Amino acid sequence: MSGALPRALEDGLRLAMPFVAALLVGAILLAITGRDPFSTYAELFNEALGGQSRIAATLTAATPLIFTGLATAIAFRAGVFNVGVEGSFYLGGLAAAWVGFAWIGLGGTLQMLAALGFGAFVGGLWMLLPGWLRARMEVDEVVTTLMLNFIAIGIALWLVNGPLLAAGSANSATPMVLPEARLLRLIPPSTLNAGFLIGLAALVAYGVWLRLRVGGFENRLVGLNPRFARSVGISVASVILLAIVLSGVIGGLGGATHALGVVGRFSEGFSPGYGFTGIAVALLGRNRPVGILIGALIFGALTSAGTTVQLFADIPLDLVQVLEGTVMMLAVVEAVRWARRRRAVRAVAP
Amino acid sequence: MPVVDSPVTRLGADGISRRFGPVVANDGIDLAVRAGEIHAIVGQNGAGKSTLMRIFQGLDQPDAGHVIVDGLPVRFRGPADALAQGIGMVHQEFMLADALTLAENLILGAEPGRRGIIDRRAALDRARQLGDQAGVDLDWGQRAGDASVPDRQIVEILRLLYRGADTLILDEPTAVLAPSQVDRLFGLLRALRQDGHTILFISHKLREVMALADRVTVLRQGRVITTIDVGSIDQDALAQLAVGETVEPPYREAGDGVGDVILDVVGLSVAGTGDRPALDQVSFEVREGEILGIAGVAGNGQEALIASMIGLARPSAGRIVVRGRELGGHSVADHRSFGVGYVSADRAGEGLCRQATLTENAIAGEQRQLAKESKGWLLPGRCRQRAQTIVDRYQVVHGGLGRPVAELSGGNQQRLLIGREIDRSPSLLLIAQPTRGVDLKGIAAIHRELLAYRQRGGAIVMVSEELDELIALSDHILVLCGGRAMGIVDREDASTETLAPLMVGAAAA
Repeated sequence: MSGALPRALEDGLRLAMPFVAALLVGAILLAITGRDPFSTYAELFNEALGGQSRIAATLTAATPLIFTGLATAIAFRAGVFNVGVEGSFYLGGLAAAWVGFAWIGLGGTLQMLAALGFGAFVGGLWMLLPGWLRARMEVDEVVTTLMLNFIAIGIALWLVNGPLLAAGSANSATPMVLPEARLLRLIPPSTLNAGFLIGLAALVAYGVWLRLRVGGFENRLVGLNPRFARSVGISVASVILLAIVLSGVIGGLGGATHALGVVGRFSEGFSPGYGFTGIAVALLGRNRPVGILIGALIFGALTSAGTTVQLFADIPLDLVQVLEGTVMMLAVVEAVRWARRRRAVRAVAP
Repeated sequence: MPVVDSPVTRLGADGISRRFGPVVANDGIDLAVRAGEIHAIVGQNGAGKSTLMRIFQGLDQPDAGHVIVDGLPVRFRGPADALAQGIGMVHQEFMLADALTLAENLILGAEPGRRGIIDRRAALDRARQLGDQAGVDLDWGQRAGDASVPDRQIVEILRLLYRGADTLILDEPTAVLAPSQVDRLFGLLRALRQDGHTILFISHKLREVMALADRVTVLRQGRVITTIDVGSIDQDALAQLAVGETVEPPYREAGDGVGDVILDVVGLSVAGTGDRPALDQVSFEVREGEILGIAGVAGNGQEALIASMIGLARPSAGRIVVRGRELGGHSVADHRSFGVGYVSADRAGEGLCRQATLTENAIAGEQRQLAKESKGWLLPGRCRQRAQTIVDRYQVVHGGLGRPVAELSGGNQQRLLIGREIDRSPSLLLIAQPTRGVDLKGIAAIHRELLAYRQRGGAIVMVSEELDELIALSDHILVLCGGRAMGIVDREDASTETLAPLMVGAAAA
């Protein structure tokens, strides 16, 4: 019975389950290779959350995932499986970096705001085509958005190796953005920056939109049952188009904060798959604001622990990757269930 | 040869009880279905019929009591156990594989052949033989997905016979059939009885029970009220037993039929899937305080007619004028804002959103107006208040406005849906299958609502597969066949005899 547990508790358990399972798998692996699981996990935990600088590193690593998770969730809620957030993240980052170094003379906060805004704009623009194809032509968005990722990454690489390559630079990167375009560092010397706060604000705005605004209400109904939504007078095509574009906007904004807050420029390998990890974050977080935040923090903790743990301890980076992989796999279980429900809703014959 | 008086209990219940939390679904049920009889079970929604059938299939276990087969207590762990004892069930949703042929579906799960190779010829022979025995002629090579609903249903029945069942449980088998198709099904069931099969038949429709069954058991609130020979009771008395009180037919005032024209439809056509249009040059008008019934065998243009009038389908020709305004081809939102309301035939798939809450369902379609009144905010308190009004006014029994609609019974879902639409005071209400799957008391309540709305000057276009319902409520009845209007019958002349010939395409006299 679905009503047996309070919803929050049920969601919490659902969120925790893949991580507990992943820790068990990791523990078995450690035991087989002759390591003590408990001390290893204690070490990992310490690397992720032991002390202010480690916590700051975890929050920094979680920031891009907040954006990509949220971007994916917005589309999910409308019944759209947008796997193109990675592309928006790339292009949003590049666009923001370009405004950040090339629009000389804007000055002050305006430079930063223009860079953020342009990143979000480009991210959304990138999703206009697949959004329109899905909304008006019923072209499957999974195929189009996935393919567009490769194109986005290709375009970004070409630009960063040609027109936007920093003068005298051998590696594929744009010039550094102007200092006034950089996002505020919250706890120097760590790279934790105002991007994290923008991410939190976006989550809050998403929660409010979903519950208290007409757009969010229609978004949810279209996701639950498009035939129903249509019959009560909601324009399903517009809602779907808006959801995909909004998803791109948030993805682009994520790329922009990453460029202006952490990297300071755009460079090759800008995202190690933040857009795809975002899918797992959204699935595990059940597309809810708090769930997305927790999901992003956990993945962030794994990442930040993974990057340093091998420097200090006798723990292979592979362990962290096994943990991440297991969590992802279990998140896919959730994705399959979701896709089935989506198909079931679509298949209801008139 | 019928063995109606055989004392042997083929299938029965001995003191079966089943509770779900505080709800007692079955309360000490005793039932004896004799070998070779057609036994009907009637009762309101929530009387405990479905629970009992699930127990008979081993899909649920009783808290107390036993299932009886051939006079002895048994315990079924699932439908396979029941089938091993010769008991099979035809559900309301058919369980055929769409991509396979009807013959393949028949043998699915018990394929004739050797070493993993299916003997298709043997399968087809067996299929024809079973069909001949039952007196039905089917195109066995047809894919199940392409077969008609009645043909699919017959394959479901024959499949159980093929698997060795001699006792059939049928759950509301006529809910998906048109009147002429019901006759064919009943012919098949009578032929099966003739061959000594036993049939347990669950229904809402007392007329059908009276026509088909040998004996009937009445369930009410989880208890057996009585089991009685159908020959010794009339339909009204049976209705009273099932409901527990007398059901008054709703009072219907005579209409004067001189109100303003609300809806004017001229030469309306809608493209179909093949060459033939779904709707072909249909014209009619509906005035204030008037109910226009739409009769026809399922799939003869009713869906296209309703869909085009609410904006879900685009007309290929013709005009739809509501209160003097041409609406053909406009969006659903436009139709609704010009005062058209819509109650879908597909309550669970289109009319309501099962996973959404009562409140969300109650305000859906009205969200923009509600937000406009509160500076763009959709305030939860306001939404709840709106839902509360509808739920109170239309007597929806529910477990909380924040609970999903899927938890409501069919009748309460329908009341919520109709309430939502009527409460917005449309000038024209489109309603399809207003009482499908609703119990007797619920039907009376819905009919009262519709008549009250008519009395207030509302215009209704009502599609129904229940001729009785159309005849009882309509001022005029338009008959559709093959997408064309076969004629409009006035209230005074409306009867099964006048409508049935038009439904199968005979031109109006």
